Amino acid sequence: MRAPDDTTIKAGQTLLSVENVSLSFGGVKAIRGVSFDIKKGEIRAIIGPNGAGKTSMLNVINGFYHPQEGQITFKGVKRKKMRPNDAANGGIARTFQNVALFRSMTTLDNIMAGRTLKMHSNFFWQLWRYGPAEREEIEHRHKVEEIIDFLEIEHIRRVPVGRLPYGLQKRVELGRALAMEPELLLLDEPMAGMNLEEKEDMCRYIIDVNNHFGTTIALIEHDMGVVMDLANRVIVLDYGQKIADGTPDEVKANKAVIDAYLGVAH
Amino acid sequence: MLCVKPYGMLCKIFVVPFYEMWDLPDIFVQTLWEGLVGGTLYSLIALGFVLVFKASGVFNFAQGIMVVFAALSLVGLHSLGVPAFLALILAAGIMFVLAYSVERVVLRPLVNQPDIILFMATFGLTYFLIGLGELIFGGDPKVMITKQLYIPTGALSFDFGGGRVELQKLDITAMVVASIMVAGLAVFFSKTRIGRALRAVADSHKAALSVGISLNQIWVIVWFAAGLVALVTGIMWGARSEVSFALEIIALKALPVLILGGFTSIPGAIVGGLIIGIGEKVGEIYWGPLLGGGIESWLAYMIALAFLLFRPQGLFGEKIIERV
Ligand SMILES: Nc1ncnc2c1ncn2[C@@H]1O[C@H](COP(=O)(O)OP(=O)(O)O)[C@@H](O)[C@H]1O
Ligand SMILES: [Mg+2]
Repeated sequence: MRAPDDTTIKAGQTLLSVENVSLSFGGVKAIRGVSFDIKKGEIRAIIGPNGAGKTSMLNVINGFYHPQEGQITFKGVKRKKMRPNDAANGGIARTFQNVALFRSMTTLDNIMAGRTLKMHSNFFWQLWRYGPAEREEIEHRHKVEEIIDFLEIEHIRRVPVGRLPYGLQKRVELGRALAMEPELLLLDEPMAGMNLEEKEDMCRYIIDVNNHFGTTIALIEHDMGVVMDLANRVIVLDYGQKIADGTPDEVKANKAVIDAYLGVAH
Repeated sequence: MLCVKPYGMLCKIFVVPFYEMWDLPDIFVQTLWEGLVGGTLYSLIALGFVLVFKASGVFNFAQGIMVVFAALSLVGLHSLGVPAFLALILAAGIMFVLAYSVERVVLRPLVNQPDIILFMATFGLTYFLIGLGELIFGGDPKVMITKQLYIPTGALSFDFGGGRVELQKLDITAMVVASIMVAGLAVFFSKTRIGRALRAVADSHKAALSVGISLNQIWVIVWFAAGLVALVTGIMWGARSEVSFALEIIALKALPVLILGGFTSIPGAIVGGLIIGIGEKVGEIYWGPLLGGGIESWLAYMIALAFLLFRPQGLFGEKIIERV
């Protein structure tokens, strides 16, 4: 069962804060003492050169990696480390930089898999696909169809996702994350490898999700134009360290950021 | 017979066996049937491997001993005076306890270790189960409680092609039970939420974790499913011969099936098992004498390898397209 949210967080309050997090793999320091927060309702971008530690940061937030130092506070609960299950249960959903879909399953089943934590019928009923299990399946199918409509992917509902082009795979992956009805949505380069039209569509979906459902979004993106359009606030990482944090305009004007992007030696 | 001197050997390999098949169709049909029954049991063993491999990426060396252990538990409980069907349920319960313990003691602590470590761990599990089995049940072969489980014995026979074909009722039962089991698993995995979660885990661990699927729970379920398959295999195989630790080597029969059908394909395990079973029996009867017997220990591998020459992607694998 899910714990009731006794601390409902209102828009503009801190939803997640990361304090002094450090993470290393053997000798490689992927993240060095990074702190930042994400406020409810905002779109927060994380940018930085390749290898800066952006993906590692998302992995820390959703519990795939456990930092050696620091802590994470999500919805007022402080943790030394998240576990993937805590994260998913608490309402954190994500997509992956290199698309992690259930390749042999259809679009519909992939998105249905996003409903896992919302389904509760027990083993016995499921065996017979009867009674509560059947009712539940129908009810969740309804929700999933709404998401499919929203993302305009009706035509590929029954296609195994392994056969879809990359751009559509990314869209299905977003759909699966949305099916979790998350409070915090982590998107790792959602537009990488897309053509212009696909990028525009994806931007629109992200804005719509944020506007209509009030979902808080943390987004890693390379395309600065996109970041400037979408994000309320931006964190810049470089060599595992936070070198800037502020509105897109502030960040754009920041000397350290310009240096990092132009590859000036440190 | 019709083989003339310089072509004697070629003729004996490529002509005589087919002539015999045509000439004595009753023996041929009998051979096919026996191959099919053997193949069904190979399919079941391979299915146990595939279930575990798909969901946990572990090549479970212990699947063979699980067959023995399940059958021994059943027979052992019955010999203690437990009624046969209750013993069956309890044996299934023991397989659940085993699945749960494996998840806790083996998989969970080793989850991020390389696959080879997990593979070695299943070696350890094998020897642990052998030791435990001998300790509890003793090392002597036992008789399967066939009658007590109301499994029919005896044979049906009918005239065919100038001779008689005999079908053991036991074998017919094995076929029926195996089919029901496979159909049941197929429905479970394709239609239920847990089945969907299982397929999800098989496709991507990290994506499954990200949507809140519990790997631990899924592992218990697949190991339990593999345990149930082992129990059924053990009953059927045990009824045809006896229940002993020697049964464990039937796990080796699963390897060529897996080579043929792929490690992750359930249809591959089933069809592969049937092909190997039939091929092995036909080879043994028609070509075995030429090679002086002993053929059954390696023929299955030959069949699998020969097949791979023509279909390198295995039975149901997608066509491998080399990227250049
Ligand atoms: N699982 C891992 N094992 C070892 N090193 C890793 C692992 N994940 C990330 N790293 C290392 O951490 C650093 C940051 O990587 P990453 O977070 O993927 O950067 P980004 O997403 O900003 O490109 C890199 O040097 C990378 O090689
Ligand atoms: Mg990255």
